[in-house]
Amino acid sequence: MSDTLIEVKDLEVRFPIRSKKLFKSETVELRAVDGVTFDIKRGETVGLVGESGSGKTTVGRAILRAIDPTAGEVIFHTRHEDVDVANLEGEALRAFRQHMNLVFKAGPVQLSSLTGDMLRLFRPRMSLVFQDPYSSLNPRMTVRDIIAEPLVASGMVTSREEVDVRVREIAGRCKLNLEHLRRFPHAFSGGQRQRICIARALVSRPDFVVCDESVSALDVSIQAEIINLLKDLQEEMGVAFLFIAHDLSVVAQISHRVAVLYVGKFVEYAPTEKLFFTPRHPYTHALLSAVPRADPDAAFDPIKLSGEIPNPLSAPSGCRFHTRCPLARERCSTDVPEWREIDEDHFVACHFAEEFDFSRVRSH
Amino acid sequence: MTTMLSVRDLTISFRTDEGTITPVQNVSFELDAGRTLGLVGESGSGKSVSTKALMRLLPGTATIAPGAAMHYRTKSGKQVEIEGLRAGGRELRRLRGGEIGMIFQEPMASFSPVYSIGNQMMEAFRLHRGIRGRAARELAIEMLDKVRISNPAARLDQYSHEMSGGMRQRAMIALALSAGPNLLIADEPTTALDVTIQAQVLELMQGLQDELGMAMIFITHDLGVIAQIADDVAVMYLGTIIEKGPAREVIRAPLHPYTVGLLEAIPSLDRLDARLKPVPGDIPSPNQRPSGCPFHTRCGQAMAGLCDQRMPAETTPSTGRSVRCWLHAEEGRHAA
Repeated sequence: MSDTLIEVKDLEVRFPIRSKKLFKSETVELRAVDGVTFDIKRGETVGLVGESGSGKTTVGRAILRAIDPTAGEVIFHTRHEDVDVANLEGEALRAFRQHMNLVFKAGPVQLSSLTGDMLRLFRPRMSLVFQDPYSSLNPRMTVRDIIAEPLVASGMVTSREEVDVRVREIAGRCKLNLEHLRRFPHAFSGGQRQRICIARALVSRPDFVVCDESVSALDVSIQAEIINLLKDLQEEMGVAFLFIAHDLSVVAQISHRVAVLYVGKFVEYAPTEKLFFTPRHPYTHALLSAVPRADPDAAFDPIKLSGEIPNPLSAPSGCRFHTRCPLARERCSTDVPEWREIDEDHFVACHFAEEFDFSRVRSH
Repeated sequence: MTTMLSVRDLTISFRTDEGTITPVQNVSFELDAGRTLGLVGESGSGKSVSTKALMRLLPGTATIAPGAAMHYRTKSGKQVEIEGLRAGGRELRRLRGGEIGMIFQEPMASFSPVYSIGNQMMEAFRLHRGIRGRAARELAIEMLDKVRISNPAARLDQYSHEMSGGMRQRAMIALALSAGPNLLIADEPTTALDVTIQAQVLELMQGLQDELGMAMIFITHDLGVIAQIADDVAVMYLGTIIEKGPAREVIRAPLHPYTVGLLEAIPSLDRLDARLKPVPGDIPSPNQRPSGCPFHTRCGQAMAGLCDQRMPAETTPSTGRSVRCWLHAEEGRHAA
């Protein structure tokens, strides 16, 4: 059995933007995600980095079907094999939803084409942890009800006793005190709130969770604690994470593989070690050089990228990075670089990747 | 080097519904002209509150305990006692902006949305430097150019919402520098920015500092940024400076267990597979400040009967460095 959990093929998300002028209104398309292909394995963490506006969040949401992809496929490989959910209809489907657990036909499910009830059936298998643990918890619900909500809303678990058992179990795993379950979110610190968010995301025992900047708002020491917790939970529960963050050192710590996104396109995708020590794309290299190290002796000589990330409404021709790339040549402004495997598991979109050596020396 | 700013025994309390809290306790530091002091600490450690006191920007519920001294030497060499300035008085107005400038984390909230960028910059020129009209406009264009905003003449008439985050932060720096401050307080100026833009802004700030010779207080929770930009660093925990000294030495060889813990908690780009070491426990809430050393509840080396009883005094193990920890005090070493 292949251990691939999610396959993303040529994913595109476009948003119509209406610009109103005096006598006419025009609709232009914003290509937030423009042809992204990658896969996530069972129990793996894939990091997704890029500057703001690069489309990181949109990729995550499109995989979860919180946003509808415009084109492309998202295939979810299921493990259980009992009910042919794909052919359930009407009453049978509704009855099935009352059923305690979700069990699926073996084989892949085209997530990108699921709609309505079928999609709702799939929801508990996937989950999301947001950036801000303050605004993502309902202040009028107790912690117990917040964590239980995915179970109750999906109809996965109906008996109150079982909901309680599940909530207690996940709260324990997330190192929350059981007496905290009766309290309201305002009584908790940022780190504890984020643990509540994680418990809520994992209570339905999903196969896949998107963590969208989930540790970015936390102080370093709490951040370290949450990263360790996510790693432990992954080991215990086998859940796969798509970890979206703009902080490269955080992504490096938690991810097995890392993808770099630039104006809606992947520029590089590789196992963490390779991406961080032998990057092949000039943009990855520039990003890495801009991270300030807590070491006064480490050379800090960020590569100067002229200007800012281009507006996706008017993405540059050819390679999208050519307007800021210090190594750009003529061809870069006309030809779109091919997405290719340059080394085992190491994908890059750059015409001249073979010529560059950006290897970084490990310092201690 | 002349001492430009000297803060002694600054203690700030707030009245809240749950009683009085004291987010800043006995903070003392000095800053020489042209130097950069980094102020590090977790949220709630009192970094921002203590610098707001320097601008007398604290809300009405705050009181500065008597005995605090904030002495500032102006551009013309006059000694000003900030704590004694009359609220709303002329001297205080001259100090704000003209002598001490401030940059905040969220540039969107610092610009007025109804005036153009240029309008706001020219106001600063008029009030603090007496420059108006065409000359002010030209100077504003020069300032925007200095912070490397392209096409500054056109940008001058734009509003803050028309700019991207990085550009807005650079415009904010230009605005703060328009009044020609001697001291710039930067409160997490790069936290909301992408690394590439952060690198641009840091480099810009260092360049402008060299050019204009101003001093900076740089507030951040990112020790990486401190290592790159600060000459000296002060580490705060629950309102107290627990360690200070030259940034290089403090990061190389931290003395206080909290500084050690903070440095170990940082994810590194060089050790990818190592497990992170968080500082154990949670930061206590400000209305439950522990007795004795505020860090003893989370400290692995805390000594019962000493650290939980009495606050350690500041000791200076070597020139330029100081630490508040019983492990580095005479008495504590005997107890250990």
